[in-house]
Amino acid sequence: MTVLWPIAVITIKEGIRNRAIYGISLFALLLLGLNLLIANMAAHDVGKVAVDMALSTISFSGLLVVLFVGINLMAKDLDKKTIYMVLSKPISRSEYIIGKFFGIVLILFSTIAFISIFACACLFVLKAGYATYFPQFSWSLVFLGIFFILITLILLSALSFLFSSFSSTSFITLVLTILSYLIGQSLSDIKALIETSRITGAAVSPITIQVVNVAYYLFPNLSFFDIKTQVAHGVSIPVPTILWTVLYGFVYTSLAITAASLIFRKKEFS
Amino acid sequence: MVRILTYCLIALFFVVHIVAVGKLTDQHAALQKSGYQNQLFVLPSPILKVVALDYDGVVSDYLFFKGITYIGGFASRGGRFQLNESQWQGFYNILDVSTDLDPYFQDPYYFANAFLTWDAGVVRETNVLLKKGSKYRTWDWSLPFFIGFNNFYFLQDYDKAAEFLMVASRRPGASTTLASLASKLAFKAKRTENSIAFLEEMIKKTDDESMKKTFGTRVEAFKAILVLENAVDDYRKKFRRFPVNLDELVKKKIIIEIPKDPFGGKFSVDSQGAIRTTSEFLLLPYHR
Amino acid sequence: MTAIETKGISKTFKGDLRAKRVNALEGLEFEIAQGEVFGFLGPNGAGKSTAIKILLNLIYPDRGNACILGSDVKDKEVRRFVGYLPENPYFYDYLTAEELLWFGGRTSGLNKSAIAERTEMLLTRMNLTTARKRSLRTYSKGMVQRAGLAMALIHDPQVVILDEPMSGLDPIGRKMVGDLILELKSRGKTVFFSSHILTDIERFCDRAGIIVSGKLRCIDTLDNLLSGGNTLEKVFLHEVEKAGGREEL
Repeated sequence: MTVLWPIAVITIKEGIRNRAIYGISLFALLLLGLNLLIANMAAHDVGKVAVDMALSTISFSGLLVVLFVGINLMAKDLDKKTIYMVLSKPISRSEYIIGKFFGIVLILFSTIAFISIFACACLFVLKAGYATYFPQFSWSLVFLGIFFILITLILLSALSFLFSSFSSTSFITLVLTILSYLIGQSLSDIKALIETSRITGAAVSPITIQVVNVAYYLFPNLSFFDIKTQVAHGVSIPVPTILWTVLYGFVYTSLAITAASLIFRKKEFS
Repeated sequence: MVRILTYCLIALFFVVHIVAVGKLTDQHAALQKSGYQNQLFVLPSPILKVVALDYDGVVSDYLFFKGITYIGGFASRGGRFQLNESQWQGFYNILDVSTDLDPYFQDPYYFANAFLTWDAGVVRETNVLLKKGSKYRTWDWSLPFFIGFNNFYFLQDYDKAAEFLMVASRRPGASTTLASLASKLAFKAKRTENSIAFLEEMIKKTDDESMKKTFGTRVEAFKAILVLENAVDDYRKKFRRFPVNLDELVKKKIIIEIPKDPFGGKFSVDSQGAIRTTSEFLLLPYHR
Repeated sequence: MTAIETKGISKTFKGDLRAKRVNALEGLEFEIAQGEVFGFLGPNGAGKSTAIKILLNLIYPDRGNACILGSDVKDKEVRRFVGYLPENPYFYDYLTAEELLWFGGRTSGLNKSAIAERTEMLLTRMNLTTARKRSLRTYSKGMVQRAGLAMALIHDPQVVILDEPMSGLDPIGRKMVGDLILELKSRGKTVFFSSHILTDIERFCDRAGIIVSGKLRCIDTLDNLLSGGNTLEKVFLHEVEKAGGREEL
């Protein structure tokens, strides 16, 4: 158990010292600067646009970190065989996965925190300048939105671990993770589409309906964590929903990591 | 021992997972309906065209799906839609942009005509949209036909209606009755018959079962009115004046009984001899 | 108890779509006593690395089992007492040698002061003191190898397993590794290393095994192998020829 911390530490060091994080953070800062400039072009809903852009910047940057730093860290171990240096110690395969996962979670947490500070500063400046156009603004909602984004990214990382455990190249892992992201975001919409087809009278084959229903439970429904619209309009989220959302994120992530561990146990390194 | 515990924990997590998905689906659906008015936002076409790169078609499809899902979300039990003006505008916009990206795409025009004219009363703009489609889908007679119908039924512009019917009649697959219907429109006196003929064509062109039913009921209503109008005419020929009320038509044995308004209203005749009804059906002013 | 023991280890690698299956190891069986220096000799592709990776639980044998210091190699605790240097070692680019050794020490269960003490000692011994705070990316191949050795020895393991430790080293490096092996021997450690450089085997080993095409062809003390005016080269080539000849039949 105590072995998890050293694994996490070297993962973090390797990840943070990688130039990619700086590039992504710089990109995020640029987007936030853009937010400062163009948010006021929205005549009435400056508040909405500002929050939209701020949260979207955080979300997108975080996604880049998951895809290009997170997956990369795991890939390097497997491709360049740096994993030998870890597994030759009294560390089990599961401990390796979990330790690495903690490292990536901490990297995500610190990157998101860093970008969020600037995002909130940006919002603060805009709110001060256009106070009348921020009618239903709530800082606690903004933080909740950021928190939910973090959970999404952690969940996505867990999935990337699962894919790494059986993919033969890091490219396949990347593709699968991106696909999961796209499917996760559109799952609710697709289900709604199937349902409204009944109202609008378009025909949907029963096979499609079944497939969508299965996928709805199998893939992560990332839209549960997407409350950008609600935050932008100051609509508060009921506490039970928050609790269920966090629970869902936690459970799905745990299942993904557990599956990753189990599959990784079978992996051989020749 | 630890193994068994771990498996139990995993099983528990699965259960929680399934439950959570169900709960969150419901809660988010409730969240959508309450609180704020869900607005549909789409980038203006020129920008979107650039952003879409060479994926115009797919983006067009996506926008269309987004549009109908948006409306689907507002459908209440009775099948009627309760959107406010800006929401209908959102729906219109997204179909407009969708067809800007792919003007040959049939469904946006179809659904725009289905929902925007009857439910939103947004006829002129819908015609603009349909005209765009008609310009590109030169093989499709239904679009100019819809424009014609809208002009006839909602805007009461009979000349325009006839014009578009003629355009439609020249396109492949058009029913032969279209041309004759166009010429009949010139006769203002034959309004009710023309409405029936027009609606019957609409029914033929419609796939949607519930839409067919709605049209069918309207046809029934018009047929009832036609019976009454003809009866009033016969009465006038015989007695050189309009009947005071519809019962007179029965009394004088011109008709056996007063037909029922399928929309639940009560028919009556006014001093000018025009048939009126108390139901929703003749919501729009219907002059003889 | 024996330091290293294998019984009937067999491993076949399933080929990909075009290549056939490869019998990497067949019926590998040997015993290494504690305090021995054992050389594992064989041509390229003979199965030396595969055998070593099985000992490190990086690869799972299809049949048979292996024990180190009495415990099955599948038990991770075993590796508390094992030091491993892979062939062509790779480490995280952005770590420093110091951080690498900290990781090795912590995961092996050393406390802070022990780590500090041994890090100091090993960095000096491996001539890496000046480079200790530089990231491993900047290291030359020889330096990386030395860092790997330090990592393998940070926890003062009872059994040291080296896969081609001399590969790519210059004469200075080779001398250093050689001296290290002899020093470990003098301290009663068990050293198991694979090589295809005959002179290294001759110089350091008490016993040696020759493996060709996945099978252990002969295993004996150096004295016995070199008796009767034999050179290791002759013995080796003889075994290779025997193996090759049989296969053709």
